[in-house]
Amino acid sequence: MSDSQQVRAVADVDRVVDCDAHVTEHQSDLLPYLEGPMASALRTDVDDSYGYISSFYPSAGFLTPVNTGKADATSVKTPADVREGMDLLDTDTVVLTPTQNLYLGCVQHPELAAALGRAYNAWLLDTLVDPSAGRYGACVVAPQRPAEAAAEIDDRADEPGVCAVFLPSGGVNPPLGKRQYDPIYEAAERAGLPVMMHNAAGTMLLSFPNLFQGFDRYLSSHAPVHAMQHMTHLSSMLTTGVPERFDVDFVVQEAGIGWVPYFERRFDHEYRAKREDAPILEKLPSEYLRDQFYFTSQPVEGTGDPDYVASMVELMGPDRLLFSSDYPHLDFDHSAELFRAVRSRLGPDAARGVYGETATAVFDL
Amino acid sequence: MVVDLDGREVAVFRVDGEFLALANYCVHQGGPVCEGRLSGTLAEAPDGTLSYDHEGGVVACPWHGWEFDVRTGEALADPNYRQPTYDVVVEAGAVYVEA
Repeated sequence: MSDSQQVRAVADVDRVVDCDAHVTEHQSDLLPYLEGPMASALRTDVDDSYGYISSFYPSAGFLTPVNTGKADATSVKTPADVREGMDLLDTDTVVLTPTQNLYLGCVQHPELAAALGRAYNAWLLDTLVDPSAGRYGACVVAPQRPAEAAAEIDDRADEPGVCAVFLPSGGVNPPLGKRQYDPIYEAAERAGLPVMMHNAAGTMLLSFPNLFQGFDRYLSSHAPVHAMQHMTHLSSMLTTGVPERFDVDFVVQEAGIGWVPYFERRFDHEYRAKREDAPILEKLPSEYLRDQFYFTSQPVEGTGDPDYVASMVELMGPDRLLFSSDYPHLDFDHSAELFRAVRSRLGPDAARGVYGETATAVFDL
Repeated sequence: MVVDLDGREVAVFRVDGEFLALANYCVHQGGPVCEGRLSGTLAEAPDGTLSYDHEGGVVACPWHGWEFDVRTGEALADPNYRQPTYDVVVEAGAVYVEA
């Protein structure tokens, strides 16, 4: 696209890429794709209304707008479902991400977790991924079994439409800078795939700060935890030099934007006085973040104040921000939500970048 | 030792027989940088093995622990920060700092 071409609306961007478009995989989808001993161990003679598989994934027992019926729980399990969301949001390309398997990192049985991740990928590739229709997919891996996760990445990397590794990071304990996870990063590096990190609020109660056990409302949990967990993992990963040791890009999701300029400045500030805790680093932590970490936009906070939004985007660098919807989850952003502030304050180049060009490069779409 | 040069505090170090001089006013927040520990610093290999490097070549400001290379004055964590250094001359058994 030439620079002189007008970008007045999302539709003027040649290719709008949604980097977090969820599918809603259910028991009946996953069971037929299980392999190995779990395929034999789990019963298959029950219908989906019982859905015992969902009990493998810990949840927090909150009242949410979905289970009170205040927000839709839209099902996305077929190409037509995905198309409906893309039409609603005016997107051209989606990176498909899971819903139930956002909680995979907290499944207690490690072999079961690995088997569920593998079944999800088999189902996703068989059913929904089709690059010719703009549907790409992220390969879900269970962090509980790093060696098997690496083997899964090796197996899936060359499948058409696999554009990322998906690490369900919520509640994962110990944090993702520990060397036990290195096989996952090595496999991602080998495959040339970015690693998507995505939390789920309910998972973090299990292992994130015990303070969170005091939360008894959805609001108080959901507002802070996405950014807090990302900060915890990024603190761990920067300290052990993951981005120094691995030539891998990371896509950090679902925490809004304002915490990014805060966190990188805070971490640099601390690092200058505590460098011996991260002696493997060869440059400032913020430089690693700027070179290898991308951030998806949803849920954008403060859109009633375009100056705030534009300032935060400028402070983090618009070339590191990727538009995402989170559709069909209850707090999804329409593609127009962020656009006005970015287009009016930062110009058409930034709009093209945020809404597709950067994602096209990161995911090699 | 710390000496006063026309109102400027300058610290003179002797490291491996070599004399070095640094401003004693920390570029971070003005702490008495050269009154801190003269030491080395940890290094880490890609496999996670730790070693202790630059023994005697690093001074840490006692206020916040910022580490500086006593030869170049550069902050180890961020070379954008640098302590002023001074040339030292030894003549006839006397040590002179060129201010």
